[in-house]
Amino acid sequence: MKTYPPPPSKRNKYPEPVKEWNAAHLATLDPTTSRTRLFDPSNPDRPNVGDILLTTFRNNDPFSGVCISIRRRGLDTAILLRNRLMTVGVEMWVKIYSPEVKSIEVVKRAEKRARRARLYYMRKPKHDRGSVEGEVEEYLKRRRLIRSGALGVKEPGMSGKRGISAKRPEQGKVGVGAK
Amino acid sequence: MTPSICQSCLQNPHFFLIPRGLFAQTSARGIKSISAPRRNRFNQDPSLPRLGASTAAALERKAYATPLRTGALGTKKGMSAVYDTETGKRQACTIVQMDRVQVVAHKTRQKNGYYAVQVGSGWKHPSNITRPLLGHYAESGVSPKRHLVEFKVRDERGLLGIGETLGAGWFQEGQYVDARANSRGMGFAGGMKRHGFKGQPASHGVSLTHRAMGSAGQSQGGGSRVLPGKRMPGRMGGHQVTTQNVRVIKVDDEKGIVVLNGSSHKDLFVKR
Repeated sequence: MKTYPPPPSKRNKYPEPVKEWNAAHLATLDPTTSRTRLFDPSNPDRPNVGDILLTTFRNNDPFSGVCISIRRRGLDTAILLRNRLMTVGVEMWVKIYSPEVKSIEVVKRAEKRARRARLYYMRKPKHDRGSVEGEVEEYLKRRRLIRSGALGVKEPGMSGKRGISAKRPEQGKVGVGAK
Repeated sequence: MTPSICQSCLQNPHFFLIPRGLFAQTSARGIKSISAPRRNRFNQDPSLPRLGASTAAALERKAYATPLRTGALGTKKGMSAVYDTETGKRQACTIVQMDRVQVVAHKTRQKNGYYAVQVGSGWKHPSNITRPLLGHYAESGVSPKRHLVEFKVRDERGLLGIGETLGAGWFQEGQYVDARANSRGMGFAGGMKRHGFKGQPASHGVSLTHRAMGSAGQSQGGGSRVLPGKRMPGRMGGHQVTTQNVRVIKVDDEKGIVVLNGSSHKDLFVKR
């Protein structure tokens, strides 16, 4: 019985289309890989669970809060920020690769490394951090001074190199508080 | 006295007396006419409306909804997300891959009563295929396929060349397709899962009937029986499901990828 050979198979040539799609789409969302490098586990200055983060969106709306969870899912990697706005607890998931997210900054590091990956206990009144507006105000004041040059300190990452500096800065907005 | 032969015996002999070779043994059974159908001399004018109970009329009725082009086969490889850089909106997407999709055969109005394209995808080892099916593939000059599906088309314009390969380029970005696949089989599912019955309370004296159906109908006043079509537990899932108007987000002809908007059923896809 005559049988004909099959044509070349694209399925065998590209067996992992989902991974390739994710990588290609990530390249369009994060062309300089700055966001990926910021959250890379090997980056010593990465945002950790327990730190206070400030996110600024495309329309310049800020949202700050304690990071209580980092959900790593490739393209859909997200951070959960918790804050108290006028005594009302508000939690917000922020997808780090979303085009809406303009910047993610570390306002204040946690004093001690959190002993778990998800800090859901912070929802209880005993461990609730409360409002982080105070710390954010301080941070923004310091940032303003650095940027105006009044403190005579160069802002890390703005020394001409592209992206986030991998070296630990001596002074500045990142690294406040004992790690 | 000469013996007189019974005239009736000669005229109507018994069945068992007649030698078998003297009459033709017909193998066809059933009530069928042995003569060709005679042409009806009435109602034959072309100006008269077509009889509704005819193949031609049925095809005409469905012509509007029958596509002009054939569909294609693909397999769902997984899901991902698409972020729109302008609006910032995130949409879930399904990634479907097409593998060695070829036209295997045609169905025509003359032979089969309708127009359709038989499309095959994948590859199956010839030792696992029956000889009749191997002959079918050999006649078309294509390799043995794992999946064979027919796509109805409106007329002969939709019949592609036999052996022609369909790639991801068959679809365009922004086009809307109907996606079909078999749903997940849920096995023998109970009333609550299958039909959304509410069940009974978890406590307050309910004994062993928390997820049961409850009543199956009325008593004597409701027919003294369970009415036909009463929704009851039974096999759920494992049937074909169609999702209409799924938008094609992206097409990658080189890798045979079609990215569809939203979620879709797993396993094989039948796209149009």
